[in-house]
Amino acid sequence: MTSNGWLQIGVFFTLVLLAAKPMGLYLAQVYEGRRTWLDPVMGPIERLLYRMTGVDAAAEMRWTEYGAAMLIFSLATLLLTYAVERLQHAIPLWNPQHMAAIEPYLAWNTAASFTTNTNWQSYVPEQTMSYLTQMFGLATHNFWSAAVGMALAIAFIRGIARRESKTLGNFWVDLTRGTLWVLAPMCLVYALMLVSQGVIQNLKPYETATLVETQHVTATGTDGKSVSTTITTQTIGQGPVASQEAIKMLGTNGGGFFNANSSHPFENPTPLTNLLEMVSIFLIPAGLCVTLGVMVGSPKHGWAIFAAMSVLWFAGVLTCYWAEAQPNPLLHGVEQHAISTGAAQSSGGNMEGKEVRFGIANSALFATVTTDASCGAVNAMHDSFMPLGGMVPLINIMMGEIVFGGVGAGMYGMLIFVVATVFIAGLMVGRTPEYLGKKIEAFDVQMSMLYLLIFPLIILGFAAVTVLLPNLGLSSVSNHGPHGLSQILYAYTSATGNNGSAFAGINANTHWYNSTLAIAMLAGRFLMIVPMLAVAGNLATKKIAPPSLGTFPVTTPMFTLLLTSVIVIVGALTFFPALSLGPILEHLLLRAGTSF
Amino acid sequence: MSDLVFIGASVFFFSVAIWYLNGCHQSMKGGRDDA
Repeated sequence: MTSNGWLQIGVFFTLVLLAAKPMGLYLAQVYEGRRTWLDPVMGPIERLLYRMTGVDAAAEMRWTEYGAAMLIFSLATLLLTYAVERLQHAIPLWNPQHMAAIEPYLAWNTAASFTTNTNWQSYVPEQTMSYLTQMFGLATHNFWSAAVGMALAIAFIRGIARRESKTLGNFWVDLTRGTLWVLAPMCLVYALMLVSQGVIQNLKPYETATLVETQHVTATGTDGKSVSTTITTQTIGQGPVASQEAIKMLGTNGGGFFNANSSHPFENPTPLTNLLEMVSIFLIPAGLCVTLGVMVGSPKHGWAIFAAMSVLWFAGVLTCYWAEAQPNPLLHGVEQHAISTGAAQSSGGNMEGKEVRFGIANSALFATVTTDASCGAVNAMHDSFMPLGGMVPLINIMMGEIVFGGVGAGMYGMLIFVVATVFIAGLMVGRTPEYLGKKIEAFDVQMSMLYLLIFPLIILGFAAVTVLLPNLGLSSVSNHGPHGLSQILYAYTSATGNNGSAFAGINANTHWYNSTLAIAMLAGRFLMIVPMLAVAGNLATKKIAPPSLGTFPVTTPMFTLLLTSVIVIVGALTFFPALSLGPILEHLLLRAGTSF
Repeated sequence: MSDLVFIGASVFFFSVAIWYLNGCHQSMKGGRDDA
């Protein structure tokens, strides 16, 4: 670890801290329907959309109506994306590479992936998707799924803030305002900033470049014979990258325009874009802490949650950076020899799978941030991290991605943990648990537990079945032993957590993985949202009691400590047996000289 | 044929989600008299 690395990590967090308050105040303004400087531009568009769709913007919805509207909208957009993918070869628009129709398993997996804000990609985008599919099928979903997440978080916050109310707002209004007032204008500015740094934005066919140095490649053919090929040209992918990159990061979507994602120079060309991309992942989720404080009338509560998130973020980045700054023990002798003979420059740490432009500190930070949130964009290959370094992204997702988290999803996930925390605090002091003056009763705890238990059930269930299937499951992993288990575990954790980053090394484009990962993504999103909305709807109906001596304060360092402890205990201990068979065992075996 | 399977699977999943939502609602009503 270097002081330069820590300085860059410090700059990143300072920017997040500085941006949280203005972002959060703006979000509160937007969702409370107060006047903003964008009203003259967006107001007429909003009213036109409501007239066209017949939405009554003044109508309030109960939690069941809010949830049903969200489910119907998600189903409709999923089917639309599926249709675009299946028909892309027949649509004579923006398909200069003449991409074929996407096969049904992959098309369904991708449609589920982008509907759920996961952006898991079982395919190589630049070899699979037409520009139309990238823009209309996928980038628009990045807006919709992010706006849905934000709307749900706001609905939960209203549930806490309102007293004796049967409604949580209007889903269609929240969806529209989140898109028009927050995501669209911010992405417009952000995309232009990316273009200024070298991110491409065009609809051209791919370029063909002649290599300066001819490459000779020898490979084994299907008949088992050695085939030698001379390569003189390289195809360079093009496309509308900047417009997709902006929402990919800001909406914590994470699906890259290129397979290499944010390690590709057309997606992430400079250290400045790398910093911007990381900050933009946390921007809205960090702002939502302030929004929570404003809307429930307790700004200190919002900052207490921000503090808990910050502690967990720091623990993650410290562990990941430390692990990656260590040299691989099996290569130690080789590196020492290289240094002593002056034959090569040694980084002093694990540089496998990392982009040299970003180095160890920025790769460890990016990996931590992208999995703290449900983003899933990567600027390094997590599969190549040291076992404990790769365990950090895995644990971050396993904790439910509530460390700032996905746009909206992180906040409502964290609020479920808050309900569990005040319940445990109530048990400890022997009083009826209260949260900001609202009594937490049996139904709230039942629904919160349902939310918390569905998540590991899906991950561990699918992973356990997959490791028992040699032909369908194990045949796709590229490493055996604990590393192979980590690859499978990571895939189902990433899908269920709607993260979308891959541990790489696993071929997920098979019928088994495409269909089971799609089910995991859908269940991990929608079967968790329903109990969360039920808690919100139930909280909204309650009276707000004034604080008494027995009220557990949710604005103090004690609350932050208790909340952090509950998250670690619930998140980490649930998955500890699986982690001990994967990355922890791999770490111990690596120290003993065994690799996989 | 595969398309129909996946479209059907999508509709089935979201139908289950609506049924599940209704189940949570019934559970909520069961716990209170005024809901």
